[in-house]
Amino acid sequence: MNDRLKALYKTQILAHAKNSFNEGVLDDYTHKIQAYNPVCGDQFDLYLKFEGDVIHNTSFKGYGCAISKASTSVLAKQLLGKSKSEAKALIELFLKVINPENSESPESLTSDEELLAFASAREFPERLTCANLAWEKVKEVLEVA
Amino acid sequence: MQSIKSEFPIFENARKEGRSLIFLDNASTTQKPQCVIDAISGFYTGYYANVGRGLYWPATIASASYDQSREKVRAFIGASSKKEVVFTSGTTDAVNKVVNSFLLPQLEQGDEVLVSEMEHHSNFVPWQQACQSKGAQLKVIPLDAELNLDLSELASMLTDNVKILAITAISNTLGVKNDLKKIIKLAHQHNVKVFVDAAQLPLSEKIDVQEMDCDFLAFSGHKVFGPTGIGVLYGKQGLFDKMSPLAYGGGMVQQVSVDKTIMADLPSKHEAGTPNIAGAIGLAAAIDFVNSVGVEEIGRHSAELRKYAVECLSEIEGLTLLAKDAEGTAILSFTVEGIHPHDIAAFLAEKGIAVRAGHHCTHPLIQKLDIAGTVRISFSIYNSEEEVDLLKNTLDEIRSFFL
Repeated sequence: MNDRLKALYKTQILAHAKNSFNEGVLDDYTHKIQAYNPVCGDQFDLYLKFEGDVIHNTSFKGYGCAISKASTSVLAKQLLGKSKSEAKALIELFLKVINPENSESPESLTSDEELLAFASAREFPERLTCANLAWEKVKEVLEVA
Repeated sequence: MQSIKSEFPIFENARKEGRSLIFLDNASTTQKPQCVIDAISGFYTGYYANVGRGLYWPATIASASYDQSREKVRAFIGASSKKEVVFTSGTTDAVNKVVNSFLLPQLEQGDEVLVSEMEHHSNFVPWQQACQSKGAQLKVIPLDAELNLDLSELASMLTDNVKILAITAISNTLGVKNDLKKIIKLAHQHNVKVFVDAAQLPLSEKIDVQEMDCDFLAFSGHKVFGPTGIGVLYGKQGLFDKMSPLAYGGGMVQQVSVDKTIMADLPSKHEAGTPNIAGAIGLAAAIDFVNSVGVEEIGRHSAELRKYAVECLSEIEGLTLLAKDAEGTAILSFTVEGIHPHDIAAFLAEKGIAVRAGHHCTHPLIQKLDIAGTVRISFSIYNSEEEVDLLKNTLDEIRSFFL
């Protein structure tokens, strides 16, 4: 199996795709965010429970390829405990890490391995929408929330 | 097969890991042989002009070539007259035109339109939207357990209320072939007109619209080695005569005054505006190519590869083939337990193997099957058993990587 693609699917991603973080429906959510890609059919519902300004609990449910599922799982995990402005900053950071047009190297942006795992998506423009699907949706919601 | 493959320059140019592209996405579109590319560039470089009106010599050659292309299409589908052959931009365009000019003018509340559960969105959404705009009902013919069209259900759904039955010749997702002669005969017993989506048919078997007795039939040039942007709508002359023009504009009129317009005769009546001349010329070259190899030969070769793929892929644990016993088609869909179709397609692409993954523009079918999508492989004349072997080996590797 070739190294370029292996890098994309590195252990972090496969691990999150197989054993996702908080998969399921949150009973007492305050925000339900639907991420759907009509082109490929990937579909995730992300549940956030805000307490005041802080995201107190998260979960997600849905289906998609390993990349989109893992990226949604990482998002759910990393949003936990973040304030709204921290969450926005996190999402901006992640989108920079995977953006092929960004001249900064992923490693110069963060040392977080869960986020860096998706940096290889820069080399696979057709998979960018898998990596950013849920992140873009949450970004939209946070901007108006 | 090597000599036929060498007529397709893409296999020289598009290489990965020292190998030619392995193109297993022929249900989506086909690669182009040099003769088609030459015909198109020959038109632009040698005798380009508009058709119909020019009195100078490139225009007369262009007009004659355009007309000849129509004649080639006529012979290709066995129509009795060129008047029954209208160029469109593709199958989707043809469906929309039949909806607008044949169905909508007569569609009333309480009427019904029949489609099947295996239709491509292009032969589903236009009918659905037309029905919704008039308060008519779209009824969907179900598939049986083997994923074949349920003919007994169809029989019971054919009533006096049905205005048209729109059915695909071959499911683009499953590779299941419908018994069109039987279906059309059944529909005609109830005076129901039939539109055939033949997008996947022309390289599977020789089309004979008269023997089939369909009322309308459409296919796309790009799926038969021709260029994109050109397609064909066949319609029985009596229907084309009665129908209002598929579009209005220049080139489709006899006389125009401030008060009224007298439409041109068939087929011009249904072709408004400057047509896709290069597309028609390219399509004609593609038909010449297909005829030189033989539709039967292409169909046989592709169906045998499907059969071979069924054998090979059956050995893979956790892999489920859909409609695996479908006969005489080039399309095969499968799923692999625990691995999403897009992940499989991405890994195959890295090996230079082009396949489709997803819902293949057949949401209603994918919902019925209750799956996330499928991986679809589809064969043509330039594919080989060695390519299927490589596919099989790569799928084994993918399984061991993911599972």
